Amino acid sequence: MPTAILPMDAAPVGAIARLMHELGKLPGIGPKSAERLTHYLLASDVEQVHALADALHAIKDKVHPCRQCFNLTEGDLCKLCADPRRDASTLCVVEQPRDLASIERAGSFRGLYHVLGGRLAPLENVGPENLTIDALLRRVHQGGVKEVIMATNPTLEGDGTALYLSNLLADSGVKITRLARGVPSGSVLEFANNQMLADALEGRRAF
Amino acid sequence: MPLEKATALVIRNTDWSETSRISTLWTRELGKVRCLAKGGRRLKSNFESALDLLTACSIVLLRKTSGSLDLLTEAQVLERFTQLRNDLSALYAAYYVAELLGDWTEDYDPHPALFDEALATLRTLGQPGVACGPRLARFELVLLRELGYAPALAQCASCERPVAGSSPPGHGLAFSAAGGGVICSACQGQHGDRRPLTHEAWQALQTLNEAGDGWKSIEDPAVRATVRQVLNDYVTYSMGRRPRLLPYLGS
Repeated sequence: MPTAILPMDAAPVGAIARLMHELGKLPGIGPKSAERLTHYLLASDVEQVHALADALHAIKDKVHPCRQCFNLTEGDLCKLCADPRRDASTLCVVEQPRDLASIERAGSFRGLYHVLGGRLAPLENVGPENLTIDALLRRVHQGGVKEVIMATNPTLEGDGTALYLSNLLADSGVKITRLARGVPSGSVLEFANNQMLADALEGRRAF
Repeated sequence: MPLEKATALVIRNTDWSETSRISTLWTRELGKVRCLAKGGRRLKSNFESALDLLTACSIVLLRKTSGSLDLLTEAQVLERFTQLRNDLSALYAAYYVAELLGDWTEDYDPHPALFDEALATLRTLGQPGVACGPRLARFELVLLRELGYAPALAQCASCERPVAGSSPPGHGLAFSAAGGGVICSACQGQHGDRRPLTHEAWQALQTLNEAGDGWKSIEDPAVRATVRQVLNDYVTYSMGRRPRLLPYLGS
């Protein structure tokens, strides 16, 4: 916890101004928040500040994409790819490492992942060469994969990316599936929007 | 600051913050507008899923007069072109529609006829039995006409003589993007960028330029390919740069 209050009468100069400037570049941090965080850090224990600085250094020095799935890792392989208990015959294709983390939090998928690094967006000059599509094709063609689950975002560009991949993998002999969509579990129909209901009806299945 | 209601097509989205996005909307009533959609990235917001790319929606926005972004306060889905998600060539053609609308029009310059044509195009692309090339060519010619770049098709762009009067009619023609349209055989020496135009391709361009469903009758692959090349040249020249989606388009 902060132990001292710094005088606020002078304009920040030197190291203080630099830290405020750098913090202000972070998403969701405006000039006021940057100033508040800077003064919090100034008033914090030196060990706490050094720990933060070390953590910032570490994420840039040690973290890199997994050689196999392009999830973020500090080793050669991420802990999921290195885990022999995971089902290597099922690949779940996601856009970003954050999507992978969300699916892992759900705790219901025991296969492996492949992180594309984005989605195909020709309007923003993002083409297949900007994603890890070649690596995905190599993984599938190496054998051992029986199912590829398209877990791209349910947007037009996400669906377009899944469609592009499914076309590429059509002759590979693997089963290609995509995530179901519709009404969230635990919600009520009254508050579902039109698209959720339309998706749920389209994707209905037999009991 | 007045509240405005409009019918819109989402043509671009940019993330603004963790929860907000900037949406570029092509509206029937106001032309192109850029709006800040606060909370637009949240699953539960006033916009639901109406701000997905190439969704037609009804919107309410707060016009800003100070030059800052307009504020989007409501958006509700009117139409979603779901068939685009199942046909890659149709999807790329739809992206091309969005690129032309977004990059070639000015803010607050409405063209209701072009908006209607864009929606009609998106409804048709990806439908069973519909070829993307002729449908897209029809849209391009409407866009060119609305923006004041309509190519000369009935008369020579250079000497202005009717090309239908040539002997035989429509034969020995070429198309010059820099010249502004069809060039008769007598004027072709002046246009180094000319591309030969068969009689059938010239007729197809005339058909595409007319209102109605005439574009459906253009079935010859060679004619479609020529029309695509001519329009690629002309759009690139008129726009001042090559559209990003052109390499993805088929004929």
